[in-house]
Amino acid sequence: MKRYLYLSLLPEALIASMLPPEQFGNYLAVGTKKRTRGQAMFFEVDPDFESNYFNLADIEKLCKPHTDGTPKRSKYFSIYRVLENIPLTQLKKLYLVTDDGRVLGIDKAEYSPKNDTKLRLYQQLCPVNPRVASSLEPQEFAKFITNTSNPISVPKIVFVQLGLHDLAIDPVNGSDENLPFPNIQHLRDCLTELKLAKDKPTKTVIRFMQGDLLYRTIKNGFFVGDQNNFIFYKFPSINELENEYYTWWRSALVLGFR
Amino acid sequence: MVNELFWIVPVCSIIALAFAWFFFKQVMKESEGNDQMKKIALYVRNGAMAYLKQQYKIVGLFFIVITIIFSIMAYGLEVQNPWVPFAFITGGFFSGLAGFFGMKTATYASARTANAAEKSLNAGLKIAFRSGSVMGLVVVGLGLFDISLWFYVLNIFYPTTLTDGHNLILITTTMLTFGMGASAQALFARVGGGIFTKAADVGGDLVGKVEAGIPEDDPRNPATIADNVGDNVGDVAGMGADLYESYCGSILATAALGASAFYTNPEMQFKAVIAPMLIAAVGIILSILGIFLVRTKENASQKELLKALGRGINISSALIVIFSLVIILMLNLENGLGIWGSIVTGLLTGSLIGKATEYYTSHSYSPTKHIAESSKTGPATVIISGLGIGMISTAIPVLAVVVGIIFSFLFATHFDINNIGMGLYGIGIAAVGMLSTLGITLATDAYGPIADNAGGNAEMSGLGEYVRKRTDALDALGNTTAATGKGFAIGSAALTALALLASYIEELKIGLLRIGQDVISLGNGVNIKTAEATLTDFMKYYEVHLMNPKVLIGVFIGSMMAFIFCGLTMQAVGRAAQKMVDEVRRQFREIKGILEGTGEPDYAKCVEISTKGAQIEMILPSILAILIPILMGIVLGVAGVMGLLAGSLGTGFVLAVFMANSGGAWDNAKKYVEEGHLGGKGSQCHKATVIGDTVGDPFKDTSGPSLNILIKLMSMVAIVMSGLTVAFSLL
Repeated sequence: MKRYLYLSLLPEALIASMLPPEQFGNYLAVGTKKRTRGQAMFFEVDPDFESNYFNLADIEKLCKPHTDGTPKRSKYFSIYRVLENIPLTQLKKLYLVTDDGRVLGIDKAEYSPKNDTKLRLYQQLCPVNPRVASSLEPQEFAKFITNTSNPISVPKIVFVQLGLHDLAIDPVNGSDENLPFPNIQHLRDCLTELKLAKDKPTKTVIRFMQGDLLYRTIKNGFFVGDQNNFIFYKFPSINELENEYYTWWRSALVLGFR
Repeated sequence: MVNELFWIVPVCSIIALAFAWFFFKQVMKESEGNDQMKKIALYVRNGAMAYLKQQYKIVGLFFIVITIIFSIMAYGLEVQNPWVPFAFITGGFFSGLAGFFGMKTATYASARTANAAEKSLNAGLKIAFRSGSVMGLVVVGLGLFDISLWFYVLNIFYPTTLTDGHNLILITTTMLTFGMGASAQALFARVGGGIFTKAADVGGDLVGKVEAGIPEDDPRNPATIADNVGDNVGDVAGMGADLYESYCGSILATAALGASAFYTNPEMQFKAVIAPMLIAAVGIILSILGIFLVRTKENASQKELLKALGRGINISSALIVIFSLVIILMLNLENGLGIWGSIVTGLLTGSLIGKATEYYTSHSYSPTKHIAESSKTGPATVIISGLGIGMISTAIPVLAVVVGIIFSFLFATHFDINNIGMGLYGIGIAAVGMLSTLGITLATDAYGPIADNAGGNAEMSGLGEYVRKRTDALDALGNTTAATGKGFAIGSAALTALALLASYIEELKIGLLRIGQDVISLGNGVNIKTAEATLTDFMKYYEVHLMNPKVLIGVFIGSMMAFIFCGLTMQAVGRAAQKMVDEVRRQFREIKGILEGTGEPDYAKCVEISTKGAQIEMILPSILAILIPILMGIVLGVAGVMGLLAGSLGTGFVLAVFMANSGGAWDNAKKYVEEGHLGGKGSQCHKATVIGDTVGDPFKDTSGPSLNILIKLMSMVAIVMSGLTVAFSLL
């Protein structure tokens, strides 16, 4: 049986599995007895990559079928400093899983920086997950957050840019229609402070991610970067979601309000 | 004496049934789509029929028991009209038959609508609307057929002449009693259907959406089919039975009031009796014309779809204004123009209530937006503002009915406020005017659940996105028409109940004559022949005034009944939904592969749970609604019953408007947020409005609509039991 290797983002973990991505995503979200549910995001990682940090040589020994012949669903290899120890070149598709286990795989794409606005909102996903307002465009932000000369930094970062609509231009008076973020006034304050500050490139809005990422709030896609590399995973447009990925999109729009 | 003009009535009723058959055949010619679509449609059809079968078993048992009691009262105690047992059965039978045909068509139509939507929006609209038209035409066709059949048969046994008006009073008051059969059947259909649909909807959503996070109409949810069945049993069969009863009730009550008002002029009396039947008959033809006018271009917008439906209704309504004048002039009725004014007043009142409902429940207007805005401070303020808006929303419909009553009364009496007999006839014929184009208005109501089910079928069958977009457009249109339809149903119920209240006195007169009381004493040595006594005389005789404690007690109990009835039906939904939640959780736990889509849920079990829940839960409120007027009559007599009916009508009408509008406004406040306002889906405001919508579900779909029946049924029971009341009242 084929083995797969996955880098889970929330929580950060390296997991081996005999399930292909679709089934693995479903398993992560709703388990086997379907008594749970929860959003998941993970990369498929090339299982043959060589690592001194992870004990991948034992993958076939540790990740083996159950005695009844059913495939091993998950074998955790690490839950700490996983992202920093995986070369970005080894990342394959990014899979986004909804609460009820619908899985959407998205591919790497070319990213053309757009300096259409000064204000942006980033939700960091791995290895830390604060929500941050920033005047930096994504590639600059990735470099900034992984710059070891800064007082705080991480070796690598995965984040997603969220839409701000009118607030990106006018955080004080711009319409906040269709922005489902909690404490919208606080967000306005953060953006205003950022807009007025000359030498402050980022401002933390929320210290850690609360609840699920609402897929509908994604502006353009997911970013993975460090000082030398930068990868973009394009999130489909609303039109594509409605016409090509309808089942996933419909599931992504369901909110259980736990 | 059966005037040749009368024959228009049965002919038109047969035309309605013929067109219903024609539309049904047209719908059946269309393909149901692929195997999956057929399979899902079959599940819904079987579920709906299983529900009807179970309901008809209980209703059948109820009818047998009541018929035996009526037979004893009629032939043993001789306090009851001997025709009542038969009239009661036929009223219930035809109402049940209308519900059966309407629902059968609706369950055949959903997959066909979804399949037609694959071709075009217009094709989908055509099938859904033609299927809804079957319900509309079957209701008016069977209703008018039953009325004309009884009128003809009773004319054989009690021949009417140009010299004596007594037999026509006897005929019309006898015919009124068949309304109780329709009322009783409507009660079970509305209450049972309302409980079924909300138990499935709320129960299914609570586990499916909230616990498992799976979307609406997802085939993995075991309650999905029950939810779709619920749309049919609640909004097709329930609404149909409700309006069947209003339709027949208003015609019969007006006929009885006409017979009384023109008692001294038998020729005019006959014309006054057949006038409401003729207006309803012509209304059928105009409804059919309106149905043919409903069409739209391909890729029509939401506004254009609404315009297409509006065109059919508006043209029918405009034409009935003209044709009712022609009928009145042909009949050469006394004060014909005034009576025509009453008919137009009824039409305008219905239209105003519909507009007011739209204003208070659509998120295009400020009241619903205000509820949505209140979500910024959480669910508690959503509930508070929804209750507040709902209460305020009662003003326009109540004032519309009040103004409608005043003008229909004054028009019919040449502005003579003391001519109560003619004034009440005017109020009755206003209700007939409002309901005259029921064929098409009910078609727009029944269209809603068909479009909703079509969307469900498209979703479960995995049809293309463009099909779902089209069925969503049809469904959204159905939601708008359903909200205005509910307002219309409540308004017509209020006017019909008022006409029935007046007719109650006519029944008392017959009841007194039956027990041999030919003279009534008004005090101070004034005695009047019972047969010649006016409504005012009866009010004096039974001391129906506010200083009589029996009246006040009746008013209090009538008002209380509206709330008790609401409370019982609300709790019934809660309990039945709880059972549904348990079942869906069990299936998720025990049936392998449901959530992966590889295991098949046990849909039938969920249908069974909703069916049983609805049948058990509807018994107590139904029995109360029937027993209280009887007990009130036996204990407090006529004065107590009049108070009871006035109390239940006043409170029930206002409460029904409040509940329907609050529920509708909460629903649309949520939709307003979901469209992207106030943070849109997933925001705190969205969570708050979802809670409001869940609270509002039983408000608008169970308790509110059930009150329509309560106020009419209590009047009907009082009418049928009037013989018992005059013979045996204790106080």
